[in-house]
Amino acid sequence: MLAMKNVSKIFKTDLVETHALRDFNLEVNEGEFVAVTGPSGSGKTTFLNIAGLLEGFTQGDYFLDGVNISNVSDNKSAAIRNEKIGFIFQGFNLISDLNLAENVEVPLRYRGFNAKERQRRVIEALEQVGLAARMKHLPSQLSGGQQQRVAIARALAGKPRFLLADEPTGNLDSLMARQVMALLENINQAGTTIIMVTHDGDLARRAQRNIQIVDGQVCDFSLYQGQDLSATKEAHQQVNIANKPVAV
Amino acid sequence: MMLHVKPILSSLMRNKTGPLLLLVQIMLSVAIVANASFIIIERLSLMQRDSGVEETQVFTFNLYAFDTDTDIDLDKQRQRDLAAIRRLPEVIDASTINMSPLGGGGSSSTFTVGESQETSQYAPEAPIFYSDEHLVNTLGVKLIEGRNFYADEVITSGGEAPTLVLVTQVFAQKTWGDESPLGQIIYMGEWGDYPVKVIGVIETLQGAWVDREMNDNSLIFNVPMNGAFHKYVVRSDLDNIASLKEIIPALLHQDEPNRVIKGFKTIAEYRQSAYRAHELMATVLGMMVILLLLITSLGLAGLVMFNVGRRTKQIGTRRALGATKGDIVRFFLVENYIICIIGGSLGAILALQLGEQLMQLYSLPILAPIYPLLTFLGLIVLTTIAVIVPAQKAAMISPATATRSV
Ligand SMILES: Nc1ncnc2c1ncn2[C@@H]1O[C@H](COP(=O)(O)OP(=O)(O)OP(=O)(O)O)[C@@H](O)[C@H]1O
Ligand SMILES: [Mg+2]
Repeated sequence: MLAMKNVSKIFKTDLVETHALRDFNLEVNEGEFVAVTGPSGSGKTTFLNIAGLLEGFTQGDYFLDGVNISNVSDNKSAAIRNEKIGFIFQGFNLISDLNLAENVEVPLRYRGFNAKERQRRVIEALEQVGLAARMKHLPSQLSGGQQQRVAIARALAGKPRFLLADEPTGNLDSLMARQVMALLENINQAGTTIIMVTHDGDLARRAQRNIQIVDGQVCDFSLYQGQDLSATKEAHQQVNIANKPVAV
Repeated sequence: MMLHVKPILSSLMRNKTGPLLLLVQIMLSVAIVANASFIIIERLSLMQRDSGVEETQVFTFNLYAFDTDTDIDLDKQRQRDLAAIRRLPEVIDASTINMSPLGGGGSSSTFTVGESQETSQYAPEAPIFYSDEHLVNTLGVKLIEGRNFYADEVITSGGEAPTLVLVTQVFAQKTWGDESPLGQIIYMGEWGDYPVKVIGVIETLQGAWVDREMNDNSLIFNVPMNGAFHKYVVRSDLDNIASLKEIIPALLHQDEPNRVIKGFKTIAEYRQSAYRAHELMATVLGMMVILLLLITSLGLAGLVMFNVGRRTKQIGTRRALGATKGDIVRFFLVENYIICIIGGSLGAILALQLGEQLMQLYSLPILAPIYPLLTFLGLIVLTTIAVIVPAQKAAMISPATATRSV
């Protein structure tokens, strides 16, 4: 459902040109859970931003659901983000002036849903992350893990085809990180494609597929680690099953 | 187009201080601007009123005969003076007058009218001019009904009561309504005392007091002033006025050197001094209005810029979640329209209240509701302008800010 062909991204400032992505090639299929790792500054966020239509790229082609979206208008890409993509950020990015329900409602309003439909989806999404009872609370009244779950509810409320998460557990302690990870696995199991950038090797290994970005290019594990990978992959799938999220 | 008023309103309610200060500022601005512009317009329309006089062509000057013990017949002397002035080729006409229109000081009086003692009542107070048959032409006022005095009807033996009067249209309308004023009698003092007959109607002639409502009610009586102090009025072409200031004193001093002749001033100059205070007031208030509107729009633009800076990440996040650039601009517009509409409505109410106070304290006319309304509408336009520029900047914030900024 997602395919990047020879995508390059160059950041130009007065002094330097940064090649954040170089001839980047990647395909992600419907239903996959992809964990992206790599050294700091290697281009992970850049890849995720381009995948999520948050920023443009310098060269190459990007197909989303078979459609080349290299040259879509600003309004059109806003609509695609709104309908097809859910975002989860490292810093949660909840709007502090709005309560939880209003926060989850934000993308639904841009979608143009009526009040009743918005209400229904807000409650459904907050129930899914176990926070429906607190929908009138402000983000500041919640723990980090809870805030990230609200952010996940916001990403889910529009029923996107895929979720993009940039270090969703980066600001959380390991217990909360595992809860959030379990929630994401649950969502993936229900059919949503997930691409997650993480620094946490343990969490990455729980994903179906691991890719590493080094210096703006993909290093697929399979190329470098051969057999070793398939062994770990099976093991991870078992962990996945064992870790089926229960109460979060 | 979705406006999303509700979440914006509740977010405002959770962050009251800044918006509340702005709201108070807008409220006061509307109240003050509405009243100030009302006063300005009032003043300007006062200044626009026609005096009826050919103001640039007509000037007056004063004569003081300081040797009053002589047996000079001042009445005869005045007639000789005026005849000599009229003979000057530059002069259109000349006459004697007791006060300069728009001059600031002079005579006014109240008269009695009515069919009988029982039904008698007071006519409105009126500025009164004492002069002769030349005044109408000298001032350039328009006689629209009836006739002027004949030369032999002018009472020149000083101190006698007048018998004939020319009334202004305004006075006639206020006194007799639709009835014809011609042939009507006004009494000086009580009913029956000194009857004066109306023989003509003048379109417009203002008295000496630009601030008094009665100033348009002027009357002209057929008795020139007499005595040691005189005021002459002369009409001439604009170009000749300067030279006449030299020629006339020389001419009159040939007849009688023992007098001071000075104070040449056109009615146009009188108008300037009469309205100087009004002009100053209008200018000061006008500057205040502009300043207030400027401060208010700067306040608005400032708050929006501050909010754009404060919400950079929020705006990036909204864009990431599907907001278009237009949605972002609308977000700031709606937020500030809410403040502006609440503040503006309260301000309009306050304006009416303030107007009532001003009316009572300074006997100003009551504030017309159109002023707060127009101020309110003007403020909406101003808000749009003040908000749209920083809001468009906000719309340029990249969606990538959502992942990039801390
Ligand atoms: N707006 C920008 N202007 C200039 N250079 C940029 C910009 N954004 C990113 N870069 C550069 O592009 C490169 C890739 O950045 P990116 O944020 O994608 O790295 P990353 O893999 O996400 O790193 P991290 O793990 O630290 O988040 C870096 O060298 C970064 O400095
Ligand atoms: Mg990053």
